[in-house]
Amino acid sequence: MSPSSAQWVKPATRTELIDQLVDGVDRYNPSNLGLLEDYLYHQIREKEYDCLANLAILKLYQFNPDLYNPDVVINILVKALTAAPLPDFNLCVALLGERQNLPLLDNEPDALLPLLPHLQHLSSLLLTCRFPAFWATFYSDELAVLRDNYTVEVTGFDDSVREVVVRATRAAFVKIGRERLGRYLHLDGSNLDKYVSSLGWKIDPATGVVSIPPNPDNQIEGQVVRESIQFPQLSKIIAHAQA
Amino acid sequence: MASHRTSYFEQEIDEDLGEAEIDFAIGNYGQSDGVAYDEATHALISEAAVAAMQQQMAQQAAFTQIPDPVKRFIVHFHQAVKDNNLQEISVAYESGWNKLTEKYYPKTEWPEAEIIAPLVHDDQIFLILYRELYYRHVYSRLSPNIDDRFHSYENSCELFNYLLNSDGPVSLQLPDQWLWDIVDEFIYQFQSFCVWRLKVKTKTEEELLLLADGGQIWSCYSVLNVLYSLIQKSQINEYLAATKQGMSEEEVVETAGEYGSRPLYRMLGYFSLIGLLRVHVLLGDFTLALKVMDEVDISQKSAFTRITACHVTTYYYVGFCYLSLRRYADATRTFASILNLISRTRQYHTRSYQYDQINRTADRMYALLVVCHALSPSRLDDNVMNAVKERYGDQHAKMSRGDEGLTAFEELYLYACPKFISSNPPPYHEPEQLAAYVEDPPVDPALRHLSLFLSDVRFQTSVPVLRSFLKLYTSLDAAKLANFLDADEEELVQQMMVLKQCSREVSRAGAGSESGGLLDGETISTSDLDFTIDENMVHIVESTVGRRYGGWFIRNTEHAQRTFDYIRNSPLPISKPKPVENGVPAPAEPAAARAPSKVSWAKV
Repeated sequence: MSPSSAQWVKPATRTELIDQLVDGVDRYNPSNLGLLEDYLYHQIREKEYDCLANLAILKLYQFNPDLYNPDVVINILVKALTAAPLPDFNLCVALLGERQNLPLLDNEPDALLPLLPHLQHLSSLLLTCRFPAFWATFYSDELAVLRDNYTVEVTGFDDSVREVVVRATRAAFVKIGRERLGRYLHLDGSNLDKYVSSLGWKIDPATGVVSIPPNPDNQIEGQVVRESIQFPQLSKIIAHAQA
Repeated sequence: MASHRTSYFEQEIDEDLGEAEIDFAIGNYGQSDGVAYDEATHALISEAAVAAMQQQMAQQAAFTQIPDPVKRFIVHFHQAVKDNNLQEISVAYESGWNKLTEKYYPKTEWPEAEIIAPLVHDDQIFLILYRELYYRHVYSRLSPNIDDRFHSYENSCELFNYLLNSDGPVSLQLPDQWLWDIVDEFIYQFQSFCVWRLKVKTKTEEELLLLADGGQIWSCYSVLNVLYSLIQKSQINEYLAATKQGMSEEEVVETAGEYGSRPLYRMLGYFSLIGLLRVHVLLGDFTLALKVMDEVDISQKSAFTRITACHVTTYYYVGFCYLSLRRYADATRTFASILNLISRTRQYHTRSYQYDQINRTADRMYALLVVCHALSPSRLDDNVMNAVKERYGDQHAKMSRGDEGLTAFEELYLYACPKFISSNPPPYHEPEQLAAYVEDPPVDPALRHLSLFLSDVRFQTSVPVLRSFLKLYTSLDAAKLANFLDADEEELVQQMMVLKQCSREVSRAGAGSESGGLLDGETISTSDLDFTIDENMVHIVESTVGRRYGGWFIRNTEHAQRTFDYIRNSPLPISKPKPVENGVPAPAEPAAARAPSKVSWAKV
């Protein structure tokens, strides 16, 4: 879990130009759509992510149905999937739900329509931490379209999903069985060992148990919260006593 | 006949004049205006006599049908606006208009602006303001037809045009409450239009034609344009930033520029920010909604929070954004703080004409608060919690029962959510597509958002049960726990990760200072129960919060001090003979009693 929302509101990788678009009135200008779409493809190639900039694209589609491009939308949703447990995926869907089932300009079928239910299913699998089921679904024959046409282009898509897994496990576990972790990460053998050590986690070779370093979420501590009264709260009473 | 009526009317004016002089500090209302009005009437009569045009006759007839108190009200109202006399405008706006509406126009339109135009010497600006009220009345009491909808849009545009595109800032002044209502109503009419145009099946041929070439009328772009223009013109963001930085008053005024330094523009700018917040929520863009509020410090007690309706609206939409962003702790805090304020100030706004609306919004916020509380339980102020239980106790109990609770979530969400709109009209300009649209209409916007919300709820349905089990243990084998819950161990471990995720949220409370934007925040733990999994063993701890006494004692000590002071300062109770018989007041009294009271306009 990321500790702060600052990165999410404004990623360090966002350029000045994009920031002006996202923050200003220019975001409504359809002629800037190209810039934002280019930025999306840049995120896809460079394994960057900028939710608010992508929402700005969806906003332009919302107001200008003529500009709607299903491929771009699918890419945005794919990127938003791996932001779990943040609500990004639903925030994106909230902006595009009002497609009126109208034919596209070139009369091509809308590629999003058949894929959207699958993407929503994948999103809910990640949010409910059903990681093995996620991998099974993602690599099923049914989703070959998604893999071959979209996620294959997304640099490090699998690794981004693994980061979702890492966020969930490091918060809940201090120790986790190697096999279980492997199922969550969709890795085994030396690949798993390599990935685990890249995280700085340690595998006990004898027991096959992975130790996760302490962090604020997996260190638990019972607290007793006691009331503390601040001096200013009493100022009225004391002032009155003086009068 | 006509002359008789005129003289009768003049008498009435004189009477009114006398009264006005008693009741108002400003006495010059009558004289000049009375005369001017008289002239206007004469001009009108002779004109009608010469040119017997049908329309004018009709207007004349309509004019004569206007009850005299209404005529007097309009003349007076116009004068107040012309003088920029805020106090009198407020009286006329908040009390006069509503009372006359009750009396003469509870179920019909006010006279059209063209008909009352002679009363105000064709003052175009006043007529625009008058139409603003006229259409608002139509929307709230009657059902607006397509002409009303189009014309109210045009009238709003004329008003904003006048404010934004005159040579320099205009000198007009209006009470803050009215300015808020103008922005609020503009967005309400936009939303109402969007909902109305979605219902294709019920449109008549004529309406279909008009809608087909409706163009930019009530389009999202045009509405956003107005709001952004008001924000930019008033430089409200610069003003707010300067205030936040603690600049001196002169510096702040300088930053705000020639428009923003005037109350009219400053208030309109601020209200437009809140308006944008609302429009973005209606369109389902929750992040952008909070983003436009970057410079607004909602916790601050400023001049802007004086308008209760604005204050309440702000909190409702901000809270709703947090709910949609799954930041339940922030949503809870937002709703709880405003609900607390509303319940504490109830006595002050019972008489306000907006009391009902504020109450309705409050009730919806209680519903949303229950929803947040069910999704992320937290400690709430006792008063608020009691009010919540009183209203939604049943639903609250249901919500913690897994799937069964979904209907309760659904019910409350649909009741309390904003009236979501669809940004694009049905394809009225393309008959073929329109037919296809009617065959297979898109999902209703509210239902669309409901299904997204329910998907958020669904992924944590197992959480309450799991939590209640964990509370019983300090450590426990995962397999054993799975056994209790009738679940497979692997499934349980996955649910435990969900539980962990649900107990962590980004929140403004974590950010320490409240100075950042509304989207900012740090991850905090929202649950008093925490656990960690050591391979197969679950270790659980629970934080306990000691009872809080301090606040109670402080409040009551202060109360006791006030009571004591009051008693000490009261004169000793000496019984006086009663000066007045029951029901028959002494002759000197009513004048004295009436002097400070405000003028009311429904008197005949």
